[in-house]
Amino acid sequence: MRILVIEDEPDLLAGLARSMREEGYAVDTAQDGEDGLLKALEVSYDALVLDVMLPRLDGWEVLRRLRLKKKTPVLLLTARDKTTDRVRGLDGGADDYLVKPFDLSELLARLRALIRRSATEASAVIDLGSVLIDTAARTVTCAGIPVILTAREYALVEYLALHRGDVVTRTTLYEHLFDEMDDSLSNLLDVHVSNVRKKLGHEFIVTRRGHGYCIET
Amino acid sequence: MPFPRSIRWRLQLWYGALLVAVLCGFGATAYHLEKGRRYRLIDEGLHSRLSLLVDALRAGPERGGERKRPPELHLAPEQSALFGGPEGYYYAIWMQGAEPIGTSPGAPAAIPKPNGRENLLRVRGDFRETFLFAAPVNCVLVGRSMAADQADLRGFGGALGAFGIAVLAAGLVGGWWLVTRALRPVEKIGMAAALIAEGDLSQRIETSESKSELGELASVLNSTFARLETLFAQQSNFTADAAHELRTPVTVLLTQTQSALTRERSAEEYRETIEACQRAAQRMRRLIESLMQLARLDAGQEPLHLAPCDLAKIARESLDLVRPLAGDRKIDIEEDLSPAICRGDAERLAQVATNLLSNAIEYNHERGRIRIWTEGRDGVAVLKVHNTGEGIGVADLPHVFDRFHRGDKSRTSTGHSGLGLAIVQAIVRAHGGAIEVESEPASGTTFFVRFRAENC
Repeated sequence: MRILVIEDEPDLLAGLARSMREEGYAVDTAQDGEDGLLKALEVSYDALVLDVMLPRLDGWEVLRRLRLKKKTPVLLLTARDKTTDRVRGLDGGADDYLVKPFDLSELLARLRALIRRSATEASAVIDLGSVLIDTAARTVTCAGIPVILTAREYALVEYLALHRGDVVTRTTLYEHLFDEMDDSLSNLLDVHVSNVRKKLGHEFIVTRRGHGYCIET
Repeated sequence: MPFPRSIRWRLQLWYGALLVAVLCGFGATAYHLEKGRRYRLIDEGLHSRLSLLVDALRAGPERGGERKRPPELHLAPEQSALFGGPEGYYYAIWMQGAEPIGTSPGAPAAIPKPNGRENLLRVRGDFRETFLFAAPVNCVLVGRSMAADQADLRGFGGALGAFGIAVLAAGLVGGWWLVTRALRPVEKIGMAAALIAEGDLSQRIETSESKSELGELASVLNSTFARLETLFAQQSNFTADAAHELRTPVTVLLTQTQSALTRERSAEEYRETIEACQRAAQRMRRLIESLMQLARLDAGQEPLHLAPCDLAKIARESLDLVRPLAGDRKIDIEEDLSPAICRGDAERLAQVATNLLSNAIEYNHERGRIRIWTEGRDGVAVLKVHNTGEGIGVADLPHVFDRFHRGDKSRTSTGHSGLGLAIVQAIVRAHGGAIEVESEPASGTTFFVRFRAENC
């Protein structure tokens, strides 16, 4: 899952990015509205964390211009907690709203829910027959036995599981699993796929040569 | 009985008392005038009849020598009709003896003969009599019963009293109505004030009378209420903004600590986290200090150690402080500092200069220019700070000194609280000085600070 965080306070941005990376997300950052909008329009992020008070272009404007082109789920962060502000945010196209100061755990939970909803998944647990994926706890079990995955491997499994039945191209996977800081070494993805197959069985991820990867239902 | 507190009742009481006094005065005067008129008429009647009798007696046959014999009274019929008629006039004539020698019909029995010491007019019970000791008889008296007149006068007095009471009642009712009418705007004012006291500051007094005294009072109160509402709104905005400013550093603290605590970290990472927390805490400290200073300045409690000080010297010291900052951004500083002595607190004035200078650096372009002047002339000590930044928009210019106002909408980018210029303005005002700002979108912004110069 790849997320863009637009926040102008550097320490807050760094803290958020660190936590999200540790949760297995690929995280891009922007410190002002213009840069943020540019990135949000260029890359298909799985979610956007957007501060309202931003230099150059405020959060409302970023949201408005983004919504003209994209449906990326947006979580607004703001220091204003008046009902009118919340209504304005949600009506302006935000999918969720969090008032500063917030707890990190709540932000991360809302982010998970946001991504799940956008993949039209109602439950936090995805049932793939023998394999169960708990997106809240970020754990995978195979025939009732817990399987240890690295953050990247888990992200790969979760992304394919949320789009199960669809063929996901390598480009899409790169876009959603790696952030702007990663070197896009083309065999990195193959390494992760191979590791997942070792842990969950070779047939768990199907390769469609020339197209991409797929988890069949 | 305690004096009534209500203005309505007091007015009514005064009004009633005044009305009673006026009515009594009028009534008494009218009664006395009427009484005098009647008595004058009666007295005229008595006197004319008396002279008529005396004339008639004198016109009788002369009986020289026979003085003991009473003269005869010859009255023409129309003259006789003057006595004993419905008007109640009568006469009595005496010779030497105490018994009258002649009385008219209808005269009361046993009229005592007047003696010489009495006045020529006497009141005897209900009777009013006038008399004359005149030849050819000893005494002639004409009288009249006053019973009917006095009954008439009593009736007149009663009518006056009834009329007075009616007027008083009508007056009191009318007065009540007038007072009620006059006090209605006061009631409105009272109701509006009560609502405002309950916290609804948007209330205003609605009154149709704009020119009357109460209308003027209402408009004075309305403008007071409007001012109160504005101040209150400003205060509540200020509180909201202050809370808002605290939210971001608190969020940094929470995010950094919660994120750091999720797992074991390297010493390096802990160090970074602690540094971030320190920056957030410093920011909160700066904000709190600024808020406290503003609150003290607002309340006039900021201690000012006033002494003659030179703005040029203060500017030089402030320049030394900010020069590294300007160096970082490769900003060139021009100075033109001639002595400008004013009376002030050197430390606070240094705060003004430093704030204006760091503001000029922050809102300047990289490799921009700052110019600072001081001069004392015409009894004014001036400090001017100019920067070659982008300038301040027309919409923002009136608000640059507002608390928490920032040119751009970002509230967190610069680490400044948005209180710097508000504090500068408060300090300048506390010194009795003035601060102004001029800005051109292309050429930059100039702040002017003026104080009264100190002669020495």
